Amino acid sequence: MRSSVLKNIIVRELHRLASRRVYLWAMIIVPIGVALFFLSLMDEGLPLKVPTAVVDLDNSSTSRNLVRNLNAQELTDITMNLSSYHEAIDKVQSGEIFGFFYIPRQFERDAVAGKTPTITYYSNMTYFVPGTLAFKGFKTMAVTASGAVAETKLVNAGISDDTAGTLLQPVVIDIHPVGNPWTNYSYYLSNSFVPAALELMIFLVTVFSICHEIKSGSSTDWLARADGSVIVALVGKLLPQTMIFTVTGLGIDALFFGFNHFPMNGSWPAMIAAMILFVIACQSFATFICCVLPNLRFALSICSLTGILAFSIAGFSFPVEQMYGAVGIFSYILPVRYYFLIYIDQALNGVSLYYSRFYFIALLLFPLGCIPVMWNLKRALRHPVYLP
Amino acid sequence: MNNIFRKTGQWFTEVGQVWAQELRLSFHDIGIMLFFFALPLFYPVTYTLIYNPEVPTDIPVAVVDNCRSAKSRELARMIDATSSVEVIGYASSMTEARQWMAEKACYGILEIPHDYSKRIGRGEQTVVPFYSDMSLLLRYRSFAGALTDVQLATGAQIRSELISSAGLVASGMSGTPVDNQAFFLGDTEQGFASFVIPGIVILILQQSLVLGVTMLAGTAADRRRRNRGIDPLEVKSSVSASLIGKALCYIAIYIPMSIYVLHFIPMMFSLPHIGDALDYFTFILPMIIASVFFGITVSAIVKEREMSLMVVVFTSVIFLFLSGLTWPRYAMSETWQWIGNLIPAVWGVEGFIRINSTGASLAQNSTPYIALWILSAIYFVTAWIVVAMQRRSSHRQVLSKTTA
Repeated sequence: MRSSVLKNIIVRELHRLASRRVYLWAMIIVPIGVALFFLSLMDEGLPLKVPTAVVDLDNSSTSRNLVRNLNAQELTDITMNLSSYHEAIDKVQSGEIFGFFYIPRQFERDAVAGKTPTITYYSNMTYFVPGTLAFKGFKTMAVTASGAVAETKLVNAGISDDTAGTLLQPVVIDIHPVGNPWTNYSYYLSNSFVPAALELMIFLVTVFSICHEIKSGSSTDWLARADGSVIVALVGKLLPQTMIFTVTGLGIDALFFGFNHFPMNGSWPAMIAAMILFVIACQSFATFICCVLPNLRFALSICSLTGILAFSIAGFSFPVEQMYGAVGIFSYILPVRYYFLIYIDQALNGVSLYYSRFYFIALLLFPLGCIPVMWNLKRALRHPVYLP
Repeated sequence: MNNIFRKTGQWFTEVGQVWAQELRLSFHDIGIMLFFFALPLFYPVTYTLIYNPEVPTDIPVAVVDNCRSAKSRELARMIDATSSVEVIGYASSMTEARQWMAEKACYGILEIPHDYSKRIGRGEQTVVPFYSDMSLLLRYRSFAGALTDVQLATGAQIRSELISSAGLVASGMSGTPVDNQAFFLGDTEQGFASFVIPGIVILILQQSLVLGVTMLAGTAADRRRRNRGIDPLEVKSSVSASLIGKALCYIAIYIPMSIYVLHFIPMMFSLPHIGDALDYFTFILPMIIASVFFGITVSAIVKEREMSLMVVVFTSVIFLFLSGLTWPRYAMSETWQWIGNLIPAVWGVEGFIRINSTGASLAQNSTPYIALWILSAIYFVTAWIVVAMQRRSSHRQVLSKTTA
């Protein structure tokens, strides 16, 4: 008896999903489109060859050699040779370069004479990634330049070539970026921003499909077909969407880990399970909002605001534990935070499932959160009132 | 002649009527008020609060010291002393340290080799591996900065010891023969809020405007649907008068909002703010105008009040990336650069960051400034077409209803 009621609701919902283009758009086209956008935008992995400039006031053989080496690096691309600091700053301000390398007058003479000249370099940090890459390239070059002069002096003082080389860098701290040795930007950003975009779309579709019944007045029919049980009504409505979103989500995973060979050092089953639970958790979050505020425009606004804030507050770029405590705590009300943590454990680092146990449990708790507030949605479904 | 004057006069009256009506509609609609006022007022504050700690400090790191000598402990101490890193403890083995990392108790492991001090004493190079968690690039970046500094400092110290022990006390031999100094422009502290907020506020201006404009259009479409193709609240006017009147209404609302967002937000949170006020307000005017007509153009696909959210919200993420704030525009493919060129906020972010954070003048930003005026013109034409077509279709709807 119950199962036929549920089937009835599911069929009704499938008809509704097929009747409006917005569902196709929001459930499949946008999430897959965002994934493809990220893949295509950052397919190089790192924005190398940062446009930079050199101000070489010395113009000696040493300084020219330095400039050549700087240009030979993959990090920086010397697009101009400028004649003064002011000219260089002007080019930074007009956005033509992201930094410049400044070699002072009489650099070679001072270096050989032991007068310790100073090389200065400027990086435009208003653009973090190119600024950092330019800085890294400049610093490496400045240190190497210093080393080259020092080595010559040491060898001249009678120290063997090998020892002189060691003396320049007695200790090397060798950083191993675990799981992403290429420091590929796309691996890192796509794996966080695309699930967050999926979360946003699940929020919107869930709210739209539930609250639009109230707007159009069809909610009484919906509830009646579910024998008056709001749980059956919700499960029947949301189950087809769960299926579609899960397929979309797994399609995105296939794009990332399959076709584009993103690092996948853990288990596929864990990631698939995480995706299914993530979709259900997002639907539950949105359902909760619908129960508390059964008004289409209001619930959509709340879900949009939280869905967009999720990109920042879930700690994809700035670590949650470094945020103010009162702010950081909000990251834990968002399903995508747990999905992101599972991704780190299971795909990027490939640690045992044991370490992700709490994140899975957290995702499982989301549906339970709706139960205490469902009575309010039921009330609104029974007496649909549309407030713009 | 008289006729022209009368028509111009009538046109201005229509503009005024549209302006007043649009203002009334905006202020009587809590949903629109949310977008036009609450969003620009509170979102920048929320974002700044999220990122305001600026730089990650004391990121936990584990040390596996296989050497256990004075030298190796000194290295760990020096790393602990940097502002970015905090040594949370010594793990007995790599296995234990990895377990800590899996539990997210630490985000990096320093493994000091067993022959660390021996090699230093012998004058051989030692390599110390450091394993960095890569879940967030910001942590990796902080590690890399701190560890490079420690490497250079330790190297200089060891070098001077070795050289003096070898009896070479010649001056200038132990220190570095060439000094180097780094300067950071725009965001001098390399803080995250200082980097991201000037760009985000511009996006907030455009997106809140587009959301509000499309929602107003969707609400009008709802009214037309309920009233057999006629919007009872619409002022009778020519298409151009309607567009200009509406634009003037939104601009009037967004001038105070821009002052708050562009001037007071950076001031309140001590973000970079060295630009000339006249320059960035002059610069932002065409961005607001372009965003208004862009919004009206987009409303062609918003046929229902709430549909504006379904259509517009996710684009914020796309526009943020097209603006080049995270992934620079020079590294984008030509296609994405051109699509970005069509978005007002992309030029807005570029120009505002330069003026606000690096102190550029409006003249140095002539390209984005002119581009924004061109976009204003393009989107005015598209908005005109959208409104004209929508009027024709609702006219047809009315006709068919009356004849039937």
